Amino acid sequence: MRRPVAATLAVLGYLIMIVPILFVVATAFSAGRTLRFPPEGFSLQWFEAAVTYDPFMESLVSSLYLAIGATALALLLGVPATIAIHRGKIPGRGLVEGLFLSPLIVPELVVGLALYQQLMIGFGLDNLTTLLLGHTALLLPYAVRVTGASLALADPAVEEAARGLGASPVRAFLTVTLPLLRPGIFSAALLGLVTSFNNVPLSLLLQDREFRTLPVTMLDYVQQSYNPRIAAMATIILAATVVIAVIAERTVGFAKIFGGINR
Amino acid sequence: MTIAAEFVGVTQRFGDFTAVDGIDLEIPEGKLTTLLGPSGCGKTTSLRMLAGYSLPTAGTIKIHGVDSTTLPPEKRGLGMVFQSYALFPHMTVAQNVAYGLKIRKVGQKEIAARVSETLDLVGLGHLSASKPKKLSGGQQQRVALARAIAIRPRLLLLDEPLSNLDARLRVQMRAEIRRIQSETGLTVVLVTHDQDEALEMSDLMVLMKSGRIMQSGSPREVFANPANRFVADFLGYENFFTDKTGIFRTVRPEHLTLGAGDGERLDATVVSTAYRGVDLLVTLEAVDGAGQTVRLVADVRNGAAVEPGTRTTVTADAAHLVTLAAKE
Ligand SMILES: Nc1ncnc2c1ncn2[C@@H]1O[C@H](COP(=O)(O)OP(=O)(O)O)[C@@H](O)[C@H]1O
Ligand SMILES: [Mg+2]
Repeated sequence: MRRPVAATLAVLGYLIMIVPILFVVATAFSAGRTLRFPPEGFSLQWFEAAVTYDPFMESLVSSLYLAIGATALALLLGVPATIAIHRGKIPGRGLVEGLFLSPLIVPELVVGLALYQQLMIGFGLDNLTTLLLGHTALLLPYAVRVTGASLALADPAVEEAARGLGASPVRAFLTVTLPLLRPGIFSAALLGLVTSFNNVPLSLLLQDREFRTLPVTMLDYVQQSYNPRIAAMATIILAATVVIAVIAERTVGFAKIFGGINR
Repeated sequence: MTIAAEFVGVTQRFGDFTAVDGIDLEIPEGKLTTLLGPSGCGKTTSLRMLAGYSLPTAGTIKIHGVDSTTLPPEKRGLGMVFQSYALFPHMTVAQNVAYGLKIRKVGQKEIAARVSETLDLVGLGHLSASKPKKLSGGQQQRVALARAIAIRPRLLLLDEPLSNLDARLRVQMRAEIRRIQSETGLTVVLVTHDQDEALEMSDLMVLMKSGRIMQSGSPREVFANPANRFVADFLGYENFFTDKTGIFRTVRPEHLTLGAGDGERLDATVVSTAYRGVDLLVTLEAVDGAGQTVRLVADVRNGAAVEPGTRTTVTADAAHLVTLAAKE
């Protein structure tokens, strides 16, 4: 190793991230009744307990519903915005892009509070609609940045070439630009689903008894009961996330997905 | 001579920067016209205005006599080969070439026939099922050419088509493009910064500088009679001096000889020499008719070695001495 300090820090970083996760996974397979490490024996009973526990399953459906809805909305708004930012001759491009990226910077609790006051109290929207709008805003930066990165990589002359060959602007977009953006849109969608699904601050502020996301329900749960059911649920989510990550890596590649955010 | 396209007082400004400054130019039908000039002189901008990708700030662009200044590119029926080739990466070679034909609603059979005919013309018949990424630079360039030709364009526009190829392939492709042009009878406008390319390929050569046309004419005319110092410089004239009667003149290094002869004579001192096998490049210094110290370069073939510091008379060959209208 040429840089022993950096290498040590990297290993330490991985340990700090991974070890607690391993503890959670291990306790999920416990045969005992409490969240304790090392686990007492081996069983799958807590997985059964997790998937048959109605609050978890109901809020899992809510979370998926919200994640899919918000991701779709964010892409619907974000992709055209990205194209306008990169290709259009709109004045104040930087300002427009900044506006779309601002949810990355403003603390989510502030966004949540603002939405709560304006939309729920002010306009009387229900909390599902408000959450959907909040998560859409949260995901917009990803939609704009990730698709923007693949648009920036695409040669603008390709679309011009299509025009020169006789394609109308719409046809050139549909037959050339959009297919080139597909990997970017796909990675933005994956990233959006995961981000929305894992979100706590917004969901916490905008929850109510009827509509509550899985992370919020789990948070409630640990405050009241201290048993491995929560660890089992967390392990299930972890496994699903790993599957998504593998799909993402196989189809687009992490470097491309995250390159879009840190550009 | 039929005119295929015409620029009339065409100007393009980007902010306060004038990229193309009121050019007038007639492009002859069925001929190969080159826009030649250093990087940044406005060649691509001119071509893009002709293709419809950029709207002139002022002036008119006519295609086959019809004012087409504001016509969108898809309505112009021109074929353009971009410097980056701009192939559609998600389509095969054949699909790239068929793209423009599909839009023209040409029948399936006819498309297949024309695609293979065009790919044969550029020598790529065997690669029709490949994706562009798998091809070499030279092959990609031929696909771009085939794609533009397949639509039977009214004009074929080529932006530095050879500049991304390696030196040997570049020279080979000059003849290749010439052959395709004469086989198809297409009107071609080619942009280049390479004077050899322009001299070898053009019927009409248009020299540009800072958004203006400096000179246009056949390669022979322009090469033998550069209108001003810029054109002469660009075409490889290296000796500029004022003669005894006060006229500004130039001569190429191969027409400057050491020793007294028939032509304009100057007393010079050898500064340095460079032996290059086929010739010897001799750099000299002289005081010209205006009393200015000028640097001269003589390209000597079959001559004896000379030592730096030697004083000698040099002669600018009378038959090749060019009088320049403008000092700049
Ligand atoms: N869209 C644009 N905005 C601003 N300046 C431009 C634009 N396009 C070209 N230019 C400038 O105009 C000048 C001429 O450009 P170009 O026509 O591309 O030159 P060439 O093709 O002769 O190298 C350059 O200085 C270039 O920087
Ligand atoms: Mg150019």
